[in-house]
Amino acid sequence: MSALPAPARIGALWQQRMQGMREYEIVRDGNAFGAGFSNSFVFSSEYEQARHYLEMLLSRYRGMTIDEQFHGKELVNGGGTCFTLESRQDLSRPVLDSDCFRTDLLCDLTLVHGIGPATRKKLNARGYHSIPDLMEHPKLRSRAHEVLACLSDGNTSAIMDMIGSRHSKSHVSVLGTAGLHEPEDYVFLDIETLGLFSRPIILFGIGVIDNGKLVVYQYLLRDIAEEQAALIATAGHLSGDRVALVTFNGKSFDLPYIVDRLAYYGLGSPAKIPHFDVLHFSRRRWKDQLPSLRLAALEREILGISRSDDVPGQMVPEFYETYLRSGNIGPLVPIVEHNRQDVVSLARLFFHLLGETYGCR
Amino acid sequence: MAVADLIRLLNVNPVYRTRFVHMKTTEPEPARYGLLETSLSPSLEAYLDQRGIRLYSHQCEAINHVRAGKNVILTTSTASGKTLAFNIPVFSDLESHPDARALYLYPTKALSNDQFLTLEQMAQFTGIAAKPAIYDGDTPQSKRAAIREHSRVIISNPHELHQVLSWHAKWQPFLSNLDFIIIDEAHRYRGVFGSHIAFVIRRLLRLCRHYGSNPRFILSTATLANPCEFARHLTGLEFSLVDNDGSPHGRKNFVLYNPFYDGISERSLHQETKDLLVSCVKEDLQTLCFTGSRKMAELVTVWARDDARRISSRLAESISAYRAGFLPEERRVIERQLKEGVLKGVVSTNALELGIDIGSLDAVIISGYPGTMMSTRQQAGRAGRKGDESLAILVAQANPLDQYFMHHPEQFFERSHEHAIIDTGNPYIVSGHLLCAAAELPLREEADRDFFGEFVSWLLPELESNDLLRRTSRGWVYAGRGRAADAVRLDGVPGETFRVMCHGRLLETLDLGQAYREAHKGAIMLHQGETFVVNEMDLETHTIRVTETDVDYYTQPLKEVDLSIIETLETRTVNGVRCAFGDVEVTEQYTGYKIKRGDTIIGLEPLSLPALTFRTRAFWFILPESIEQKVSGVGLDLAGGLHGAEHAVIALMPLHVMCDRWDIGGLSSPAYGEDGEPVVFVYDAYEGGIGLAEKAFSILPQLFLSAYELVRDCRCETGCPSCIYSPKCGNDNQPLDKDATAIVLGALCRGPESTGGSTGVAGMMPVTP
Repeated sequence: MSALPAPARIGALWQQRMQGMREYEIVRDGNAFGAGFSNSFVFSSEYEQARHYLEMLLSRYRGMTIDEQFHGKELVNGGGTCFTLESRQDLSRPVLDSDCFRTDLLCDLTLVHGIGPATRKKLNARGYHSIPDLMEHPKLRSRAHEVLACLSDGNTSAIMDMIGSRHSKSHVSVLGTAGLHEPEDYVFLDIETLGLFSRPIILFGIGVIDNGKLVVYQYLLRDIAEEQAALIATAGHLSGDRVALVTFNGKSFDLPYIVDRLAYYGLGSPAKIPHFDVLHFSRRRWKDQLPSLRLAALEREILGISRSDDVPGQMVPEFYETYLRSGNIGPLVPIVEHNRQDVVSLARLFFHLLGETYGCR
Repeated sequence: MAVADLIRLLNVNPVYRTRFVHMKTTEPEPARYGLLETSLSPSLEAYLDQRGIRLYSHQCEAINHVRAGKNVILTTSTASGKTLAFNIPVFSDLESHPDARALYLYPTKALSNDQFLTLEQMAQFTGIAAKPAIYDGDTPQSKRAAIREHSRVIISNPHELHQVLSWHAKWQPFLSNLDFIIIDEAHRYRGVFGSHIAFVIRRLLRLCRHYGSNPRFILSTATLANPCEFARHLTGLEFSLVDNDGSPHGRKNFVLYNPFYDGISERSLHQETKDLLVSCVKEDLQTLCFTGSRKMAELVTVWARDDARRISSRLAESISAYRAGFLPEERRVIERQLKEGVLKGVVSTNALELGIDIGSLDAVIISGYPGTMMSTRQQAGRAGRKGDESLAILVAQANPLDQYFMHHPEQFFERSHEHAIIDTGNPYIVSGHLLCAAAELPLREEADRDFFGEFVSWLLPELESNDLLRRTSRGWVYAGRGRAADAVRLDGVPGETFRVMCHGRLLETLDLGQAYREAHKGAIMLHQGETFVVNEMDLETHTIRVTETDVDYYTQPLKEVDLSIIETLETRTVNGVRCAFGDVEVTEQYTGYKIKRGDTIIGLEPLSLPALTFRTRAFWFILPESIEQKVSGVGLDLAGGLHGAEHAVIALMPLHVMCDRWDIGGLSSPAYGEDGEPVVFVYDAYEGGIGLAEKAFSILPQLFLSAYELVRDCRCETGCPSCIYSPKCGNDNQPLDKDATAIVLGALCRGPESTGGSTGVAGMMPVTP
């Protein structure tokens, strides 16, 4: 079959169709009702502001190079190259009362399979107040032993799964298992992408604690071709015996997205590590008290942070695309800062919740 | 014999007699059984024994081929046991390979459900751990992971597949062990839709290769003229054909019935259908009646029950509708009542013609030609229980194709099967799937040429230059903003899109062509039963603004078409008439619109819209000067003759090439181009073309002859909807000249020298009434 001559507009047709496909809706200001129908929306004033901001960035950064603006360096690994940025800042952490957490767990008879609230009451009345007490109970002994064995020998994942299966996955005790880790074990993760799945990740933000400071590493793609190197660098942070991952909505978004992109390049996924999704704990903590549980809203309400010159998360793809198309680094500036701030707020929110529940009073 | 009684009634009843055009009877045939080259496992043997099944010859042939490692396409008749022919080798494989998986693709939800029940029963009885499951848009999120991990037989549909391929990492256990892909009712995947599905399948195979599996295919289709070619285009692989039907048949009677026998009809097609249904039910024949729409299915049911109630309420209760949209439980009740004989008459839409589990009945009434012979045969195939005599009745509509068959029963019964067309060479379709594929795994030009053809070399840079792909050391990576699979619609080709907004709310999106046709300024639009008027069409921002309205009129656009030949690819002479095939550029311009109430034009408004151009493929013929002179010589209108010929040819294209009238466009001109010759063009109405004009070009003599016969045999005087009037004419069926049309078409069939002479085909004269 002979091919038609290349109609030059075939690519343009697809491009136009893509332009018409926004993954968020623009909602009239204050129209919370309109917003209710869509998971992903931007208020129209926010949208207009961001469009103006983009214009301003393009004119301000015209002709500048990445190296002039960002103090980063090139990273080389088996996947090629990408650009890394590093920043550090103070972070106050609560001192955790691990005895309190331990006591809470050991006194939680309902962790034992087969014990519900009613049975617990009866057992309490008969003098069984802790799981070790149950070791004296003729019938419940072996099940109590399983729980104790898990608590003493199990890794964090096993303990989280055990508690999660008896309570909910966002139960405070699940959060409490974070106390089983040293601060240096935590890896705070947040990614920026070109869309909701099946498209490249353009920026990876990784926070780790080093000598009491929060160090944020960012792997930025100067071009889509650098995604593989950035993925490999990120996966490196996610492996290790003691590592515990902390994300905001990372169970449904960041982590599966990374696994998906690794598979895209024919790479395997990282081994399972303990994963604390702060969104789930926040939802449990503030569900009926705050109108929104987005990270930006929580950092404003709980942490008292207000961002200026931010790009709405949903509009990151069009900002990055503008950079790719024009070569103007302006749009990258707020993306990098947005991601860095997300990692910082994530860490602070995590410690806030942890301090509230298991901090020393 | 109830069937014989009914046929007698058709022959004697004064109303039926006039409309009874023709009957063809096929003699009964006994069953033929076959042998398997290697015997089945004890569990599968037991399964067949318990059901009292002895395998027919075609089932054995299919199983033998599959077990020999071949891809198989089965084209035997409805109810010949095709399902068993692919379930047996699949289960046999699952039993001997504990990790093996199979994918079943079905075009409709109802068919998926039926197949699911069959597979589950089979798994239960044989003890083979197939864990069948349906995975489609309705599968709850919470169940999906377990199905991907544990189900070894997954039933899905091509739309779902198109969406899930980018999630292949989650499908690894399934994809890396995929042994079989079963595509039932594969003939559904033809035309533009089929061309898309062909690439969805190639994308699936590309992922299978990535994960190290190499699945085999088993396809089942209705009878086609080109089964192996079709299967090869759909999957890119070679197939063995199994078409020798071993299942038994009773005596079959097929009746053609024409309510429009005298050119007009006192009663509607649906009333006539209802009468036949009631007569069948009264004769105690279990009857399945197919109608063109859901609404008609409901109406025919209501009317038939009203009629039957005059005889007895029990008879009225024995008639029911059965259509898509019914709940599975409702359908199960109807199926059971049919089997128990409580129900006598069931009225269904064409949507359920396929393999649905209601077994076989005594009679089938097909209300209106369903568009293809393939569908007709599938629907008629529902009539005939094991060895019993059966009856099928086709009730004709007023349109040209139906009427052509009524006047040419021999054409209807003796025609060859249709060609199912798939075009894997349309760059507009390929490019979309290249984007999807690049979003699934980086595209490698060399390796992926196996799946996407030579296009990759020029399409990839083209897509890169529009920022949709990025070239990396790993291959071409998708970098577009939208999700690729969401941008690719499986039933169309890409074009500019317009958004229809009502008070800032997005109502729907329209393709450019649709927008110009249906949403120009002043147009009355329908959206989910509500009426809107278009206030503004902003061509810059591709936005159409509408407001709600309540009017009793509608609008119809007027279109002018222009066409230029880009390149002539082939030429031939048919009966001395020069014909050609090639690439053309079509320019369509909407110049105004009519405001109509019913059939009355109450206003005419001008429009100023830019012209639309698209490239496609066309065939055309140039009328010899002698014919031109002959037409003018007797004072007839040449333009009207060419226009009429264009309409008649387009009307009969679906007779020869599997397509819909709406898939084709036409243009006729008494003085085309620099030479000012009289020309008629017929083109594919899709950007890039989809192979319809190309196929028609190869069978022009048959196409011309049937168009000529249609016009010659129509009893109207000056043209009517049964011959040269087109329901989609952009020029409001002006000008048309039936006598001139007959001369033009006559020349195409017999050559310019013999017009009016005595050497016509089988002595047929171009007599125009």
